[in-house]
Amino acid sequence: MLFGAGAAAVALLIPWLPDSASEQADRIDFVFWFVTAICIAIFALVAAVIVYSLLKFRARPDDDSDGPPVHGHTGLEIWWTAIPAALVTAISIVSAVVLSRNDHLPQASAASGQGDPLKPLVVDVTAQQFAWLFTYPGFDKVTSSTLRLPVDVPVQLRLRALDVIHSFWVPQFGQKQDAVPGMVTKLVITPKRLGTFPVICTELCGLGHALMRSESIVTSRDKFTSWAKGAGAGASATVSGKTVFMNNGCDGCHTFKPAGAHGAVGPDLDKLAELARRAGKPLDEFIRESIVKPDAYVERGYPKGVMPATFSTLPAAQLDALVKYLSGGSK
Amino acid sequence: MTDVAVGHNVHAEHAPAPPPTGLRRLLAPGWLRAIWMSALFFGIGAGITVLVRWLETWHPIWPGSVIVTVELAAVPFGFLAGIGGFDYWARYASGAPTLPEDHSGHGARSWKDYFRINTDHKVIGIQYLVTTIVFFVIAGLLAMFMRAELARPGMQFVDNQTFNGLFSVHAALMIFLFVIPAFAGIGNYVIPLMIGAPDMAFPRLNALSFWLLPIAGVMMVSSFLVPGGPFAAGWTNYTPLSVHQPLGNTFFSMAVQWAGASSIMTALNFLVTIITMRAPGMTFWRMPLLVWANFTTSLLVVIATPFIAGSQFFVMFDRVMHTHFFDFTAGGYPLGYQHIFWFYSHPAVYIMMLPGFGIASEVISVMARKPIFGYRLMALSLMAILVLGFSVWAHHMFVAGMAPWLRVPMMVTSMVIAVPTGIKVFSWLATLWEGRIHFHTPMLFALGFVSMFVIGGLSGIYLAAVPIDIATSDTYFVVAHIHYVLFGGSLFTIFAGIYFWFPKMTGRMYNERLGKLHFWLTFVGFNLTFFPMHWLGIQGMPRRVADYVPKFADLNLFISLASFGLGASTIVFLYNMVTSWRSGPLAPPNPWRSMTLEWQVSSPPPIFNFDEIPQVVGNPYEYGVPGARHGVFNGDRAPDFEEVPTR
Repeated sequence: MLFGAGAAAVALLIPWLPDSASEQADRIDFVFWFVTAICIAIFALVAAVIVYSLLKFRARPDDDSDGPPVHGHTGLEIWWTAIPAALVTAISIVSAVVLSRNDHLPQASAASGQGDPLKPLVVDVTAQQFAWLFTYPGFDKVTSSTLRLPVDVPVQLRLRALDVIHSFWVPQFGQKQDAVPGMVTKLVITPKRLGTFPVICTELCGLGHALMRSESIVTSRDKFTSWAKGAGAGASATVSGKTVFMNNGCDGCHTFKPAGAHGAVGPDLDKLAELARRAGKPLDEFIRESIVKPDAYVERGYPKGVMPATFSTLPAAQLDALVKYLSGGSK
Repeated sequence: MTDVAVGHNVHAEHAPAPPPTGLRRLLAPGWLRAIWMSALFFGIGAGITVLVRWLETWHPIWPGSVIVTVELAAVPFGFLAGIGGFDYWARYASGAPTLPEDHSGHGARSWKDYFRINTDHKVIGIQYLVTTIVFFVIAGLLAMFMRAELARPGMQFVDNQTFNGLFSVHAALMIFLFVIPAFAGIGNYVIPLMIGAPDMAFPRLNALSFWLLPIAGVMMVSSFLVPGGPFAAGWTNYTPLSVHQPLGNTFFSMAVQWAGASSIMTALNFLVTIITMRAPGMTFWRMPLLVWANFTTSLLVVIATPFIAGSQFFVMFDRVMHTHFFDFTAGGYPLGYQHIFWFYSHPAVYIMMLPGFGIASEVISVMARKPIFGYRLMALSLMAILVLGFSVWAHHMFVAGMAPWLRVPMMVTSMVIAVPTGIKVFSWLATLWEGRIHFHTPMLFALGFVSMFVIGGLSGIYLAAVPIDIATSDTYFVVAHIHYVLFGGSLFTIFAGIYFWFPKMTGRMYNERLGKLHFWLTFVGFNLTFFPMHWLGIQGMPRRVADYVPKFADLNLFISLASFGLGASTIVFLYNMVTSWRSGPLAPPNPWRSMTLEWQVSSPPPIFNFDEIPQVVGNPYEYGVPGARHGVFNGDRAPDFEEVPTR
């Protein structure tokens, strides 16, 4: 009893779970507490028996007698096979029900909302070393390096990875899913609370894994829609080098003062002119080559093959803007 | 340590041949020959590579990474041939007369014999244990470096790649060079004694399988020296990340082959020994539970280990030979790697746990002075875990993007495995009940194991439930869980086993006071280090990161400080082992008043274990049963005649 109370106090007094911010996390929390109640009972039983035996059945050092020769007790053995089996069956059923609900994506009914991009909202998530990129196919393919979501709208994330396996996680949303190269994986989230939450990569993806973080901003429906439409309009006009820099996650690894970036994985881009001199190439050409063919020249002290080669697929306009932005910043 | 040999019953006819002199020293098996043969095989490996590339006009003719890969296979063969691992078979295969078995490879006369090929299972057991403890200390130091870096957010001591290398090498060493072979070491020493056999079934194979181990360990550690740093894709070495890693990754792929080959050979040896070499009367239902545990573990090893060997070969082929097993751009399947990998690596968890169950059963029964509760169900639950263990691998992949329908079946099998595990825990508790419990150090570690393993097992229930696993996968919650299982479970039982059989192995008693101090420091330090990690993980700290958000700073500092204390507790252990081995009080044959056969012979045992083969007449745990015996020796029977001393 004492141990049960102690373990229950530990379970209840410490705020174990992050404040749920999605309907899925609510359901996960329910499973968590369901399992916790069972586990506390089992742990309390085991701890109590051990401590009781420790106090009660301790033999004096000079006591050479043996205990009673009890070899077993079939009834007891049946009980401690059957009860745990029943408990894990219960946990399995609860888990399976919650899993299927958490995977369920409410579709727009035929009558209303066909073509409404919010029923449900689809977001394409692109993961690469070491940045997240979020694209909204329902809103003219607007892209963003932070995940903006409307509250109370079911969202389907379609995850892709360009290089290695990454994993998308927002602790407050509860849901997690790996992004695997060559596959599209899916995840459903229904945010229920306004706020800003961390987006974390949880699958070891190389050098910058620890820094592969972003944010998820949950706003009201209206705010979200106006952002999505506004950002879409802005993006189609002119390509800003800074946007390309941030959207492709360059700041995850590189320091670059004009962008407020302070990554420490790759070379400091504030010193690009010096680096170009060392490589013996004109500045613009050097920058372009380093983005498109990163292994052509690798600064001393940095390992080869770390910078992803995937930026060679950037559209020409974006690449030009990025090169211009970087060379301007380094002068 | 020269004192060790004193207790051995060295017969004059087993004295070693006089050491060779002059040039013959170069040809006799040993370290000199190992050195020049390693160099020779290095030359052969490099020569063949360069010759083939030159003939095929591939450029460059001298490619560093290819040569290194070839040498990681070639040089160890040279070393093994030099040290004498293949001598007997080489003679046999070449038609030369094999050397008559003079048993000079049995027993250890001085500490130098522990550095030679030795076919005595007792010497090999100690070789295993000492080697694994060396790698345990190295891997522990790597963990200390990690905790130093993690004490504050931001980067302080190491860069990202080095940090990734630290935890990868830490995990790989702890798993492949400590937990698995440490259990193999204990088993090697104890099993033949327990079943009343003079040695293992294949002593030469046994010697060879030990010598593969330092090769694997040195390979893993030396990956720190190659350009690009050590392997840094985790011990899981997931593709495609591992395929794009620097050269060090090949060291992992190859080291796993050597360690894996070692454990497969040992497991085969255990299986044949247990099946064919039991003493008369030792039926399967009279085997001690440690023997049962190693029997099931060996089955797991033999069936599962080829899968990790395959997975690492595939990775290496993708890296070096430009195959595309896992390269999605060429039709490869990245998740295929995970399926193959976990088909070994989940059973590997039981490979790292079942021998510990066996040790706990021995210690608890003897020190509670009661028969083990529900002996047959204990053995059957081991077999149940063996079978179920092969049906749960994909619970490591609930968020990996595999077929969604596979999740619920894998959850159910993972949950069901809790039932046989629970049976074992409850049976240990029932064994304690109304016992006469003696709290010697092995018992403390065994009870520490039961309580900590329950926590690890229960957090395993959380992780088996798919929705919770989705939230906590790849976070510090998992780090906490595996350390409660592998530290609270495996390591505690390894310590229990080492203390328990220390008198038998060395012929001396360890220092009980230091042993208890070691236990309490470890127990408290362990909980302070790993319990808070549950919270970190649930709250949002992913695992395998060198840097984290500032809100976790205070708790991480606390964990780091606790972990340094935990690390320091190992010093007490090492000090106790070394001083007790050199100058501890001499141990009686049976200090624990145990019934199993290994305690019925002298400490340490005679060179061929039993001067006469014991007859097994009863169960191994009949404490408290009046007149019960497990094994009897001829000498125990009423003598037919009075021996009259003649002079």
